Amino acid sequence: MTAALSIRNYSLDYVTSAGPVRVLHDISLEIAPGEVLGLVGESGSGKSSLAWALMRHLPANAREVEGSLQLGNVDLQRLGPRELTRIRGRRLGMVFQDPSTSLNPTLAIGSQITEALIRHRDLKPRDADALAIELLGHVDLNNPAAIMRRYPHEISGGEKQRVVIATAFGCRPDVILFDEPTTALDVITGARILELFARLRQETGVAALYISHDLALVTRVADRVAVLKRGRLVEQAPAAEIFRAPRHSDTQALVAAVPRPEHRLVHDSPGDDVLLTASDIEVHYGNPGLFRRAPPAATKKIGLNVRAGEILGLVGESGSGKSSMARALTGLAHFSGRISFDNQVIHGARDMNAAYRRDVQIVFQHPDSSLNPRHRIDEILSRPLKLYGGSLPDIPRLLDQVRLPSSYAGRWPHQLSGGEKQRVAIARAFAARPKLVICDEITAPLDVSVQAQIIELLLALRAETGTAFVFITHDLNLIRQIAHRIGVMRRGEMVDLLPVEDFDANHIHSYTRELMAASPVPVG
Amino acid sequence: MTELLTRLIRKPQGFVGLSLLALVALACLFGPALAPYAPEKINFLGRFRAPGWQNWLGADQFGRDIFSRLMVGARSTVPMALIATFAGSAVGAIIGVGSAYFGGRADEAIMRTNDAVMAIPGLLMALLLVSTLGNGAGNAAIAIAIAFAPGMARVTRSVALNVRNQDYVKAAIARGEGALWIIFREMLPNVMAPIVIESTIRVSFAVMLFATLSFLGVGAQPPASEWGLMVADARQYMYQAPWALIAPSVAIAVAAIAFNLIGDGLRDALNPKDER
Repeated sequence: MTAALSIRNYSLDYVTSAGPVRVLHDISLEIAPGEVLGLVGESGSGKSSLAWALMRHLPANAREVEGSLQLGNVDLQRLGPRELTRIRGRRLGMVFQDPSTSLNPTLAIGSQITEALIRHRDLKPRDADALAIELLGHVDLNNPAAIMRRYPHEISGGEKQRVVIATAFGCRPDVILFDEPTTALDVITGARILELFARLRQETGVAALYISHDLALVTRVADRVAVLKRGRLVEQAPAAEIFRAPRHSDTQALVAAVPRPEHRLVHDSPGDDVLLTASDIEVHYGNPGLFRRAPPAATKKIGLNVRAGEILGLVGESGSGKSSMARALTGLAHFSGRISFDNQVIHGARDMNAAYRRDVQIVFQHPDSSLNPRHRIDEILSRPLKLYGGSLPDIPRLLDQVRLPSSYAGRWPHQLSGGEKQRVAIARAFAARPKLVICDEITAPLDVSVQAQIIELLLALRAETGTAFVFITHDLNLIRQIAHRIGVMRRGEMVDLLPVEDFDANHIHSYTRELMAASPVPVG
Repeated sequence: MTELLTRLIRKPQGFVGLSLLALVALACLFGPALAPYAPEKINFLGRFRAPGWQNWLGADQFGRDIFSRLMVGARSTVPMALIATFAGSAVGAIIGVGSAYFGGRADEAIMRTNDAVMAIPGLLMALLLVSTLGNGAGNAAIAIAIAFAPGMARVTRSVALNVRNQDYVKAAIARGEGALWIIFREMLPNVMAPIVIESTIRVSFAVMLFATLSFLGVGAQPPASEWGLMVADARQYMYQAPWALIAPSVAIAVAAIAFNLIGDGLRDALNPKDER
């Protein structure tokens, strides 16, 4: 039996101004008909390049050095443009990462599906319409006939991804490439998409290449898992085995970095003194205009307190108001309510004096945008020292504190990797010797292994300085490893605020339970 | 910087622009030394002399050598245009970044005032200002700077609004930095690329606007050899001595095209996405 998709000894270069850079080294993979192969790797490991090579949509500076790509018995590399259009979609489907950009915003959903069906299955428009409605119903969308007439901005991200998946499956391809299809979605929505994928797969028996950076997730959907590291294939094994018995050291590192809630990293308990109390916090964006009312508040009268040395976790989906809380506590957003900190009461950003600003620091989500690209590292670190008292010779010590060599002081932010930039941002926050550091999704854009290093660093800094943390994240498994208490937020409300031990108990909110069920717990 | 220059030269428009600009710069720096005659030397025997070995680009109604006048006139045209653009861009950029930083009502107030000023055509605005301030090259430069500032403010604000939402600006606000530090050190350096491109292209408009003002008699005053003024002077003798009109017109066009091409080239060279 021939493989549905086979990649043999494939190597790919990108030609840059500094000469050719090899991104894929001698890759050999096979997917049998009906099999799902998971491809796992960190960012920059070349997994997306492989997907684009299979779709024959490589950038102009890509050079295929050797190897072959075969879809069934078709040699993909030999196809001309006209033959390619007959392969793409019809025999080789693709589902992209971000559903909001993979649908055309100016066309109704219906016409985007029927276009694919008419082209690839030679249907008449009326039959295509009927089939499209059937397909949309099959991916569990309510009222498919109404969805057909809507535009992409009128449906949610999860619904968009269902539409894309319905289109991909509707053309009955031999193989579908999934490029991180749930990364851009919320945890619960993503979990539902995975359930849908498992069901459709069983019904249609399609083969798939499932690309992701999340090893725990891939082991749940794939039959076999291949691990890619810097363009080299380091290990291939059945999904159930790779977690239990990773053979290669890189795979072992990946497995070790996956957060497991039962593996606690923090063992002490915080003091009894309350450091910060926030009550009735409502965050407002935008002022009422002359002719329009102010938009509704992003959070609904939220209260929380942080004890000295405590790690308080805040979890929730995007739009749940957790980042708004971070902005309120640092005076970046207008809010009403009361914050009391260190015997002072604060009613708005104007009440925040230099002492408060020094004691409460924030680290942002995106390391690329949190450092000014036109400032060197030493200038970035010198600002808090100048503002809050401190001497410039402290900079090497600050860098050393976040495990960076002192030679980095003279570098520009773009010369650093994402993890290193996040370390500089942490050093900048700790330069003020704060009592409370707010971490707003600081590990979300990082790879799992880098995330583990950053967490380790934060815990080491906490042991050194006794700083309290408010740790905002959407990763429930991660926060259950480190937090003392966790607040669960949904649509601007705090539905639960519990000590971490109580998460296994019965009295948790139904939403929290749903969130726990949706967080992929590693197999094995 | 050298890397930017090589990237600029690799683009055809950058290369042509730079070569033309080198010619203009040569005239500005060494014009008086290179000119074969004094620019105001009158020669009544040589009135309206056609281009030839005595006067390379011909002579005007007073027998003054046009080539010499062009070489010397470069100094009063191009640097003035540069100064006017630089001043206008600087003022506009600061207004734009400040408006984006403060946001809300302050932003509305600044930008609506800006729109009101922009509603007046540039030339009309410059004319209005010069007639208020009085004739003269310096006042013309001020007028051009003021006429340019609102446009620059608008361009800069749109870029600065993006920068305003970057986390490093939020970090600066959260740590309690002052408005001046945030505007000048955090935001302004990050909006420089579009400002540089926009103002390079605007230099060409300034050269033309400056020449236009002189042509209308409110910019440089006779007997200065400013290019626009030369065109104005030659206009009455257009049929007798077309060269007296053509030569300065071509000079204005060359300077304008040079800056325009460099602006185009810079836009490509400063775009980091194009790094191949």
